[in-house]
Amino acid sequence: MFRKYVVLLRMKYVEMFAYRLATIVWMTGAMVQPLITMMVWMNIDPHQENAFIFYFAALIFVERMTSAWDVWEMEREIREGTYSYQIVRPFHPIHWAIAENIVYKALFFVILVPVWSILAIFVPALRLGQISGTQWLLFFCALLLGAVIRFLFSYMFGLLGFWITKVTAVYGMFEAVSLFLSGRIAPLSLLPPSVKTLSLYLPFRYMVGFPIEILNGDIRGLDIVFGFGWAVAWSLIFMLAVMLLWKAGLRKNQAVGG
Amino acid sequence: MSIQVEHLYKQFRVHVRQPGWKDAIRSLFKREYRTVEAVQDISFTIPSGEIVGFLGPNGAGKTTTIKMLAGLLYPTAGHVQVAGYVPFEQKPEFKKIISLVMGQKSQLIWDIPPMETFLVNKAIYEIEDRVFRQTLHELVELLELEPLLTKPTRSLSLGQRMKCELAAALLHRPQVLFLDEPTIGLDVHTQEKVRRFIGEYNREHRTTVLLTSHYMGDVTALCDRVLIINHGKLLYDGGLDRLTEKLTPYKLLEVRLASIPDISWEAYGELVEAKEGKVTLRVARERIPEVSSQFLQRFDVRDLNIEDPPMEEVITLAFQEGSHVS
Repeated sequence: MFRKYVVLLRMKYVEMFAYRLATIVWMTGAMVQPLITMMVWMNIDPHQENAFIFYFAALIFVERMTSAWDVWEMEREIREGTYSYQIVRPFHPIHWAIAENIVYKALFFVILVPVWSILAIFVPALRLGQISGTQWLLFFCALLLGAVIRFLFSYMFGLLGFWITKVTAVYGMFEAVSLFLSGRIAPLSLLPPSVKTLSLYLPFRYMVGFPIEILNGDIRGLDIVFGFGWAVAWSLIFMLAVMLLWKAGLRKNQAVGG
Repeated sequence: MSIQVEHLYKQFRVHVRQPGWKDAIRSLFKREYRTVEAVQDISFTIPSGEIVGFLGPNGAGKTTTIKMLAGLLYPTAGHVQVAGYVPFEQKPEFKKIISLVMGQKSQLIWDIPPMETFLVNKAIYEIEDRVFRQTLHELVELLELEPLLTKPTRSLSLGQRMKCELAAALLHRPQVLFLDEPTIGLDVHTQEKVRRFIGEYNREHRTTVLLTSHYMGDVTALCDRVLIINHGKLLYDGGLDRLTEKLTPYKLLEVRLASIPDISWEAYGELVEAKEGKVTLRVARERIPEVSSQFLQRFDVRDLNIEDPPMEEVITLAFQEGSHVS
């Protein structure tokens, strides 16, 4: 298993560099929306300028570390029929997707960390001195869970492609909801109380907002424990859903084309 | 037995929509479905090491059957066993001993060289280093792949890509190989090469091969036995020669004469053409000896040839509605 992963990771790495430019454009493009949102909030509430700068910078980082694109890939592969080759090989297709996620996210990590360090020299709001070791540990655990939840959510929709040809349209609807409930448009603390409460029980907060809240100290103690509980629960729910949909999907598969 | 198929059925439910604006909107609210019987009651067995051709016009059910044999599609009814496994159970041990090549689809990773796909397959099929080196070497020699290994797949020509697809499919030395239109779109020369390779590979490794194609050449060159399928039903299972005898109870008699006399040829057979000193007649099989000797006695014959009708003609007859040959 480990050796298979090493080979898949290497292949995905080579593949990623085959699309150098696309990768960079895609990565920088994804920063535009949070930056604009940040400026809007700084304009609305100038007293909290520093808090917004930190929140949205962290958002860019967390967003890159957790975002998943698998549903788009799978929709294409199922619709065009190339997914068949993944099914006939003796290694579950999900591993290919996991390997791809690891490689791209590792790249984002090694680019974003130095960028942050350099920016912190000029922007005091980005300095990280006040964050404790425990906070860091919890942050990275929450980040990993966020990546897992978001990946499984995307893969789950990808598998729905066995039933629905244009599954990304449905996924897009959930993405729109997620934009608000995950903390990407505004920190969850600024949402109306009822929406905020709702967000605590839905999976979207644990994809993006939760790790940032740990890092900027918005939540502490029992709130963090509560958050991890729900994050783990959602991971397990989506894992189960992926397993069931895979089984059912194969029966439904039309292995189109050819 | 390598492949056993008993009373296999596959139905698809497809959404039907009439063309046009109105019907496009109507179909948003009320979807109509139609059941397509892609495969109906097909049974056959293939012993290990045999190459069998699967023939049929587009949409006959060839690919659907192959996909059920490879475990991609779930049969609506019936039993399938391939090398002792039930394909749809998706067992890794099963997947390791089969391989599927689809002429219209690529398993090679598009933007990077074929060698990368080979290495990935080496890992996921758990091929030992030594075996991998040996097999790769053999395939590179047979298919002349050396210069292609390091070029990005997308920059390969269709023929080059197909050769790499075959190599990728054979690295784990499958016992059963499913080839779905492996020569589609290739030029005559490359088709010939791919065919020769498949034949050689089968002889050497005793791999069971099930091949679909609508190029007659593939089938006549490689297979002694053919399965003919149309509208999801198996019309014929047997040797190519017997098929010819059954479907075309005549042979073609070609006679080269010093000059063509202006007579009616009806007494000898059905005239196909008479020009440039050559007469071609369709003659019933049992009358061939008699007619040939009459020719030799009555005319100044330069050359005489007896041939089976071209395979294309036989197959066209086999595909015709209502023809039952089995």
